[in-house]
Amino acid sequence: MSSKPRLLLLAAGLAFACGAAAQDIKIGLVAALTGASAQSGEAITRGLAIAIDELNAKGGIMGRKVTLVRRDDESSPPKGLAAARELISNEKVAALFGGIDSPVSLAIIPVVNKEKMPFIGVWAAATNITKNGANPNYVFRVSAQDDLVDIKLVRYAMQTYGVKKPGLVLINNPWGESNEKGLKVAAEAAKIAIAGIEKIEPNDVDMTAQLTRLRNAGADALILVANAAPGAQMMKARERMGWKVPVVSHWGISGGRFDELVGPTAGDAHFVQTYSFFGNLNDAGKRVFTAMQTKYGIKTPADVLAPVGTANAYDAMHLVARAIEKARSTDGEAIRKAMYEIDDYAGLIKTYRKPFAPNDHEGLGPDDYIMVKFEGGKIVPVGK
Amino acid sequence: MDLNTFFSAVVAGVGLGSMYGLTALGFFVTYSVSGTVNFAQGSTLMLGAVLSFTLGVKFGWPMWVAAPIALAVCAAWSALVEAIGVRPFARRGSESWLLATVALGLILENVVLFTFGKDPRGMPATFLTNTGFELAGLRVTLLQVAIPLVGFGIAFALNAFVTKSAAGKAMLAVAQNRDAARLMGINVALVVTGAFALSGIFAGVAGMLIAPLYTVSAGMGTLFGIKAYAAAILGGLGNPWGVMLAGVLLGTAESVITAGFGSSWTQILSFALVIVALALRPQGLFGHATVKKV
Amino acid sequence: MSGVSNRATLVLALAAVAAATAGAFYGNNYHLLIIGTIAISAIVATGLNVLFGLAGQISFGHAGFFAIGAYTASVLSARLEVPFVLAALAGAALAAIAGALLAVPALRVRGPYLAMVTIAFGFVIEQGAAEWKSVTGGWNGFMNIPRPGWIGGAMDDRVLAIACAAIAGLLLYGFARFASSRWGLAMRATRDAEIAAQSLGANLVAVRTLAFAISAAVTGFAGALFATLQGFISPESFPFFMSITFVLLVLVGGQGSASGPLLGALVVVLLPEMLSALAEYRLMFFGGLLLLVLWLAPSGIAGAAASLWSRVSRRTHRALPVTGDERRVSRFLSREHGAPLRVDRLSVRFGGNLAVDQASLTAEPGRITSLIGPNGAGKTTLLNLVSGFYKPEAGTVRVGSAEITGAPSFAAARAGVARTFQTSQLFGGMTVQENLLVALNRGRLAGAAAVPAAEGAALADALLAWVGYTGSSQRAASELPHVDRRLVEIARALATRPEVLLLDEPAAGLSTEDTERLGEVLRRIAGLGLAVLIIEHDMPLVMGISDRIYVIDAGRMIAEGSPAEVRQDPAVRRAYLGDDEAVSGEGARPPARAAGATRAPEALLVHQLTAGYGAAPVLESVSLAVREGELVALLGANGAGKSTLMRAIVGLHRPIEGSVKFAGSEITHAQAHAIARSGLTLVPEGRQVFPELSVEDNLRLGAYAKQPLTDARVDELFGLFPRLAGLRTRRAGLLSGGEQQMLALARGLAANPRVLLLDEPSLGLAPAIVKELFGALAQLRAEGRTIVLVDQMARLALSLADRAYVLSSGKIVFAGTAEELKNNPVLEKAYLGGA
Repeated sequence: MSSKPRLLLLAAGLAFACGAAAQDIKIGLVAALTGASAQSGEAITRGLAIAIDELNAKGGIMGRKVTLVRRDDESSPPKGLAAARELISNEKVAALFGGIDSPVSLAIIPVVNKEKMPFIGVWAAATNITKNGANPNYVFRVSAQDDLVDIKLVRYAMQTYGVKKPGLVLINNPWGESNEKGLKVAAEAAKIAIAGIEKIEPNDVDMTAQLTRLRNAGADALILVANAAPGAQMMKARERMGWKVPVVSHWGISGGRFDELVGPTAGDAHFVQTYSFFGNLNDAGKRVFTAMQTKYGIKTPADVLAPVGTANAYDAMHLVARAIEKARSTDGEAIRKAMYEIDDYAGLIKTYRKPFAPNDHEGLGPDDYIMVKFEGGKIVPVGK
Repeated sequence: MDLNTFFSAVVAGVGLGSMYGLTALGFFVTYSVSGTVNFAQGSTLMLGAVLSFTLGVKFGWPMWVAAPIALAVCAAWSALVEAIGVRPFARRGSESWLLATVALGLILENVVLFTFGKDPRGMPATFLTNTGFELAGLRVTLLQVAIPLVGFGIAFALNAFVTKSAAGKAMLAVAQNRDAARLMGINVALVVTGAFALSGIFAGVAGMLIAPLYTVSAGMGTLFGIKAYAAAILGGLGNPWGVMLAGVLLGTAESVITAGFGSSWTQILSFALVIVALALRPQGLFGHATVKKV
Repeated sequence: MSGVSNRATLVLALAAVAAATAGAFYGNNYHLLIIGTIAISAIVATGLNVLFGLAGQISFGHAGFFAIGAYTASVLSARLEVPFVLAALAGAALAAIAGALLAVPALRVRGPYLAMVTIAFGFVIEQGAAEWKSVTGGWNGFMNIPRPGWIGGAMDDRVLAIACAAIAGLLLYGFARFASSRWGLAMRATRDAEIAAQSLGANLVAVRTLAFAISAAVTGFAGALFATLQGFISPESFPFFMSITFVLLVLVGGQGSASGPLLGALVVVLLPEMLSALAEYRLMFFGGLLLLVLWLAPSGIAGAAASLWSRVSRRTHRALPVTGDERRVSRFLSREHGAPLRVDRLSVRFGGNLAVDQASLTAEPGRITSLIGPNGAGKTTLLNLVSGFYKPEAGTVRVGSAEITGAPSFAAARAGVARTFQTSQLFGGMTVQENLLVALNRGRLAGAAAVPAAEGAALADALLAWVGYTGSSQRAASELPHVDRRLVEIARALATRPEVLLLDEPAAGLSTEDTERLGEVLRRIAGLGLAVLIIEHDMPLVMGISDRIYVIDAGRMIAEGSPAEVRQDPAVRRAYLGDDEAVSGEGARPPARAAGATRAPEALLVHQLTAGYGAAPVLESVSLAVREGELVALLGANGAGKSTLMRAIVGLHRPIEGSVKFAGSEITHAQAHAIARSGLTLVPEGRQVFPELSVEDNLRLGAYAKQPLTDARVDELFGLFPRLAGLRTRRAGLLSGGEQQMLALARGLAANPRVLLLDEPSLGLAPAIVKELFGALAQLRAEGRTIVLVDQMARLALSLADRAYVLSSGKIVFAGTAEELKNNPVLEKAYLGGA
């Protein structure tokens, strides 16, 4: 009963897969398209889409049209893993982009290395995503790196608020753990003590207990590493407690509707970004912003949601396109080698000069980080 | 855990627990008149929250307009669940209504996911969440006071309804002896539909009250519904006050355990507690055993 | 579930594995993942099928067992370098232990409570995995799970996919064999009719615990395969939704069927893949699919296919009837020295009521002993005490020299006590032959070697033929007509090779011919040396075949002896027919209405009413008429159909043929509440008050359909029953039987009905109360109310009635004035059987 339909199905699937896309170059994205961080997935999509539009307007890559294929990981590593496998084996994408969740990216790493699929992270910042010990390593990143972000956060807290004893509030997952290491190192280097380290779960709703312990330990600032939903709940607990301590945060909170979820005290959290659409934009910036206005109805820089995802993804897409052109092929190994050969690229965030090398798969560095906060529903820069 | 944290947890827990209890009252009402459990109750709670957000925040309607409409839709949804997910199976003596109501809850969740949106939204601050006062060294918002008040208020109202009004007594009659109720001229089918609609309103109210505390999303009802169900089971599906009490106990225990040990332990302990409690008292903590007739 | 034979399942399994292998060679890496997922889903579904499909226990927590298997195998193979196959088996073993432990609370609860226990279990495991970081890696998950070893290293994707498919095929076939094995039969029996299964010797606790353990083990093994296939697991891999999906797998395919899991896996895994563009709608799709299956195809794809197939095959060839084999049966059943059943001063109390009071009887082997008595006397209760379904408070029960007092039912069965039930409790989901096979094994799971399959089948068929069953033994038990159900149940009871056979109303619903044949069968059974004890209302049968009769009334033995002795016994006549004294007082009947006097209009007219279940109608062409102001008595023995007639008239029993007219309008198809509102009120059998409501609330509810009662009216009603006035606020459930009956009557009057129907008002009441009650009835009659009175107290009822009907086996055998009936032998015949 089952043999005939099964074979027919396989045949049909193969035909469909082969027939339609013989010419197109497919670019894959596995990101959070639903759930608490859905905004991040949308932002990344926009960055990739705008870059792809520009490429196609100039005839595509190697004269072939570029298309984007997306899959939702629902912020869940098993789902992300299944989606990545599908894109690699079924859709046969030339390159795979990742989303905001470090745990998801970490789960995908072994598969992309095994399948020789170039993987470019455009948000998830865990240090061991790129430093994963594989050789050859197919994982690249145009985004922040936790070790370096942690140094920035500690320095900012000390310089802006004179902090001497921060308390850490970290999400209980590999990303949180990555930053725990990084913050400890950064604090030691800056010769300050850590008041305490508290863990929070993604679905927690009340962090009063954790904050109370930190307050009792004498914390004079909170360093927050979490995504929008749990981060928001922590801010609400802080407000309920009436504890007006400064909050310096990693960028996870910008992946969702942080300000809407927190309410009036959202602006108390200062967080890190790699890009802002405010101020003077370079050529690429003006181009991208115009495209956002036409394509997505954006009116002012304040309307851009989760700008980091868009900016990182846009630059990353162009870098990968250049690598494919250089390699004259969509073969994974060829692309990987070509990534090290990229010439200058005047990008959105900065101008890239030979951004990648065999022992350095990070496209951005600490000089590219800026600090911002939420104000009136918009992300605005704070002073350096 | 210091005393302050403990009290704060208790206050939060009583609020949360009274919402478990209120939702569980819905389970109780439908179980007593129809002998079935509506597993879509969690989705109804979510519907109440989502509608109050959409009508009140997105469309900007005043709450005294938005709330009744939201509750009416919740009532209608529960009545629909009864008509297509319970009655066809109860009538032929099958227990498939258990799975059918699960399925209906899933469907509603997905429909809301596409219409309402995929990421959670936050209710804006209102005077309820902004105004607060000091109580023994902790800050308590008006909302946190309002929640248990409303919860217990509704429980009292339900109690008054069934003990004082004719329609309420008719409902009790249906619960106690269906055929005899028919002989009194009571339209049992109508009473069952009404009971489901009522349970829908309870869930909707709970959803609207907890929305400002948490976030509003399509998936918010599932776990809440399961916990409320646990409260109903622990309370013993035949005892309304037992159900409310079980809800408050469950919520308070959860809140205190979270404050002390973290939230994974909360889930483990509360669900393990349910298993142990049912192992020791299969009829629920406050229910009474039924004699099996051969 | 019959339908697909073992061989067909084998073919299907082989075909599936072949297809999977072919797919593995043609497809890409992702397809290998899909094939593996389908295979693993089929394995899980097979595991759940054992619990849900065979044993009938729902579980919403199987993701927990899946997780236990996955994590155990991962930790052992990755950290401790145990070879993967061993690690997977260890995972299965650990899951089995968890399953057996979960069975402890699960056994004590059912339905929604069971669902809650399993849901809770699933969450505890999921969260426990997250919390136990040191072992499981917490929320980070567990990476780099090794592959099983194979020729030349670890299995690659393709070999693993094929291996999963092969295991799935093996388990699919294994399930088919299991379902028809002794264990599978026992499980299916407990699913279909728990009580009957126990009465055949099945130990419910052992059977269900075994089902949980096996189900968990298979699911755990699938979890191990899942872990190695994915290479990465985290607590998020085992959400609550997964448990729902598992149930869906079993339901869509067809619970209880061997091929169901494969079909379910194909649908549930492939359909979302084919519609990957609509992947977002996955939840909605699953919900919708679940609903559709529940509404339209409750036995899943396999079930629908099977019923289609059986419909086709029935048309092409008829199944063979069973062949008899007298010698085999007598070799199997007969006993040289049978053991008598001795019941000595047995007593039990329910609530405050002494249901059985110091009852004693002896059923000698080789003889037929009958237990008779009016309705509610305690006959079935006594039977239940003897067969272990109730625990007595005092007294003893002995089979031969062995004492079985208070032993649970399955133990009583294994001690040689077999029984049948008032309503046949066959295992509907099994064939007739399988019903007997369960009994042949005495429901045992282990111990005494099972009867070899071929011999068991032959013996079963022989027993069936011996009791007079002429159908096929492969027929599904649920499809049998009424008389066959009775016969099969008797054959099944005999298959346990009992010493004592207890039969509860075996002739209920049988035609006269069938009853005669039944009598012959019972004689033959006794002839083989068994002790036969029957409860019956069918007096011709009882008087015809009994060697000894015991009469019980209100829980006490009031007479015993030969049929002739019992029939003459005045105590017996009183118990059945009531006192000869006429009711005195204001109730003295006014002189009969002179013939030709103006006849009052017809208030209630029943014409050719037929009601019943299938081939044996409970009521056949019943016609009666009630005029305004009359008191009509409806009399007849138990089982005659009186209560059914009352329920049919007021709309509680539907559908019915014929017609019922009330106050001129047709109410044949009206609903009960509408009929009540129109003024036709029934005071039902067994009082049926609302136990948690107060007396006054009960009373007021009587007028629910009309306007609320005025206080004056309430007082009036209390005036009719002064005893109730002082109990106004008492909860009705706490009242004595007599008080409840008065309340029920007052409640019936509250709405001022045009016609009042009373069903057995005197049942179970003390004589003094009965006198009070009938005094009230006389008063009502004097007021000119129209009343239909059904009662066992025939003489008392007749003393009040104008006219009377006598119902016997669903037919009216007398219609006339009360006076005519008083001395008419038809009454005695109906109650006590012919001379």
